[in-house]
Amino acid sequence: MISFFLNGEPVSFDGDPNTPLLWVIRDDFKLKGSKFGCGAGLCGACTMHLDGTAIKTCVLPVVAAADKAVTTIEGLGNPEALHPLQTAWIEHNVPQCGYCQSGQLMAAAALLTGKPGASSEDVDKAMSGNICRCGCYPRIKAAIMSVAESSLSYDAAAVEARS
Amino acid sequence: MSDQALTRRHFLKASGLIGGGVVVAVALPGCAFNGPHPIEVANAGFVPNAFLQITPDNEVIFYCPSDEMGQGIRTGLATIIGEELDVNPANMLVKAAGSHEDYNNPEFGVQGTGGSNAVRVFYEPLRQVGADTRALLLNAASLELGIPPEQLHTVDGFVVAADQRYPYGDFVETAASLDMPVATPLKAPADFRYIGSEAPRVDALAKATGTANFGIDADLPGMVYAVVVRPPVAGSKALKFDDSAVKTAPGVLAVVPVSSGVAVVAERYWQANQAAKKLTVDWEKRPLSSVTSTQVRQDLSAALEANDDTESSHVGDPEKAFAEADRILETDYYTPFLAHAPMEPLNATLRITENGADLWTGVQFVGAAQGVLERLTGLPRGDIKIHNQFLGGGFGRRATLSHIVEVAEIAMSIDKPVQLLWSREDDLRHGFYRPAAMMKIKAAANNEGRITAWQARRSGANITAQTMKNALPGVLPSLPTGLLNGLVGAMDYVFDNWAVDASSVEGLHETYSLPSYRVSHATVDHGLPTTFWRSVGHSYTSFAVESMMDELAEAKQLDPVALRLKNLEGKPRMQNVVAEAGRLMTAMTVRKNHHLGFAAHSSFGTDVAQIAEVSVTEGHIRVHKVTCVVDCGLAVNPDIVKAQLEGAVMFALTAALYGQIDLEEGAVVQSNFHNYPILRMDEAPAVDVVIIESETHPTGIGEPGVPPLAPAVANAVYRATGQRLRDLPLKLA
Repeated sequence: MISFFLNGEPVSFDGDPNTPLLWVIRDDFKLKGSKFGCGAGLCGACTMHLDGTAIKTCVLPVVAAADKAVTTIEGLGNPEALHPLQTAWIEHNVPQCGYCQSGQLMAAAALLTGKPGASSEDVDKAMSGNICRCGCYPRIKAAIMSVAESSLSYDAAAVEARS
Repeated sequence: MSDQALTRRHFLKASGLIGGGVVVAVALPGCAFNGPHPIEVANAGFVPNAFLQITPDNEVIFYCPSDEMGQGIRTGLATIIGEELDVNPANMLVKAAGSHEDYNNPEFGVQGTGGSNAVRVFYEPLRQVGADTRALLLNAASLELGIPPEQLHTVDGFVVAADQRYPYGDFVETAASLDMPVATPLKAPADFRYIGSEAPRVDALAKATGTANFGIDADLPGMVYAVVVRPPVAGSKALKFDDSAVKTAPGVLAVVPVSSGVAVVAERYWQANQAAKKLTVDWEKRPLSSVTSTQVRQDLSAALEANDDTESSHVGDPEKAFAEADRILETDYYTPFLAHAPMEPLNATLRITENGADLWTGVQFVGAAQGVLERLTGLPRGDIKIHNQFLGGGFGRRATLSHIVEVAEIAMSIDKPVQLLWSREDDLRHGFYRPAAMMKIKAAANNEGRITAWQARRSGANITAQTMKNALPGVLPSLPTGLLNGLVGAMDYVFDNWAVDASSVEGLHETYSLPSYRVSHATVDHGLPTTFWRSVGHSYTSFAVESMMDELAEAKQLDPVALRLKNLEGKPRMQNVVAEAGRLMTAMTVRKNHHLGFAAHSSFGTDVAQIAEVSVTEGHIRVHKVTCVVDCGLAVNPDIVKAQLEGAVMFALTAALYGQIDLEEGAVVQSNFHNYPILRMDEAPAVDVVIIESETHPTGIGEPGVPPLAPAVANAVYRATGQRLRDLPLKLA
């Protein structure tokens, strides 16, 4: 039995401890916002936060999450209470097909939590693990920079407390 | 019927001719529909036609006939129908249409999305549906309020009488009892409120919150999961397999042979994925089993050397013109096989009960998917419902149906709903690829830069033949198997012996006005499945044509933009695009060690020019910025037009710098993103887009941004290094 916190709630999983966290979240806990893209930690569609750090969960055995806090896109914000990055995503009309965007948002949120005033180079570096096949990169970057440059609208502590 | 109404009723044929696509006469379902329909009308208010539903509490629902794969079509078509209905698209609920012939793509004759045609072909019919429905609501309001219709008007979902506003929903009951007006006059472009504005995407909120549903997100009670173990070489059949270790693995429920391999079904996806590794299979050998990439290239060259090509089209007498030319350039260009690699791997979830079949997936051809299920399950078409979800990328890959066939084969042997999921390795190694192409371009120009003779020859596999073979069982589900197999077999024969597949040579001459040219094709097909890949034939022909234009300019010591302008007589739209891009290029301040490259290409009715700003450091090609000038007619949503060009630049740059599918003993070498790299943010250029203002009928935008990019970069690399790279991906010596 593996116990962890999922978006603030205590949960437990009673299956193969080597199951990647992604599949436990999607198939057992039925949170479908995190996506499967490569199964090899190469594309970032599955990015979640593990104790606040962005991590690729398609290659992370669920046992590695034991007693830790897992945050998914569902815990970052929701249509009624958007995270500032989600607001920026909508304002910049970022998504095209949208499949990679949960992972992009989770990677961006972890970056700004650690570095609220991230530079353009910081963004390039932090986001290079996340592939967008539609090529939304200029808008993803613009959306992140708009939040990074407006530190008033980004209260990292409040976001982490909510998740 | 007035002449005008007749014209509108028959617009479909006309638009088909404009597009040059397959013309299939279909009825426009603007006013009424018959038979089982996917809109569930219980408690649903008023459904005046297949596209709209207006509830008594004034919710306006638009059933979008085209599949949303990122191109923004739900927003685009909602804008078009909303303009005439007078409802802000942001205030509509936009849903994917169910499966029904009312939603057929007017040019395809089947429900489907591709060829960058959706805005073009639905522009008038959806406006008409919106206008007629608005007129009906006004008639109903007039009756209920006792006010003549001419004293009423509408504002964003409300009927306005003097200073009173009434929601459309107030009148739906009365409207349902009235006849639908026909041929209501449409707005003049000057009166547009939504068309032409940079409105937000209707799917942005869902996609920014992880609440947008893709095929992979379907989750049914009692659902089981399947993966398919596939042969190393496309098309090989399993001769025998040993599943003893699979059947004892945790969670495994069944091992099911399917036409494309062997399926493993388990209680959980991960269990199926792990158990599948324990399967051992003997696969048959096929002719493809001995093919390598080196051989493909040699065979493509050899076919042109042996003059195996068949003419596709010609104008004038190019041979005579070449004989009179003082200098002829002749050059080979080569482009490899490519995979689409959409971010969402292929998947399909199927439930078959005594009442029928329900499929949750993301496909570009809903109608053909329905046909495949009709054929394989034997159920009547009306009992097969396709719940098409958001597509996690399409690019042509989701126009194929192999995953639908697989899920049907599995579900018919399992008494449970089943979700089939492909791995990324399945996706890259078992795709339908953009075919490799060898192109030999021969050109001569006079001293002013006017091309006098042009010859373009291409060899490689065909695109349409293989795509049709894949699609025919779905498009013609009721044909007897023998006849169907005969037709499928005939596809190769037709395109090898009778006709040149237009998709395989498109773009080899059309951008320019050439006084004499000849285009020809030699079919060389090694048996690797191929299909449409974003911009199809244009994706490779532009590389050859636009590289040659720069080579010609250099040979004639002319400016590359000036040379292009010399050859655009009678093509005013592209002439204007090239001239505008030329002006922008001249005005650019280029940083030290940066170089500019230019290319232009017409495809899907749209004209695009691109300027790539490139530097080369220690053999590393870096594209810093791409400036695009586009004329796509009236831009329904200019911000989505920009987004499509931004995305097309990234998609095409991936192909230009990295894209390569290799064969070794017939098997695809690339398997995941480590050896099939996709452009990432740290290599992504800035993109500027200039949209030429226009009120002409909208043309395609999903694909036309792809073709000019690779040659624009190659032309810049030549300026930076003196190396003329004639192969994709671009690799410096």
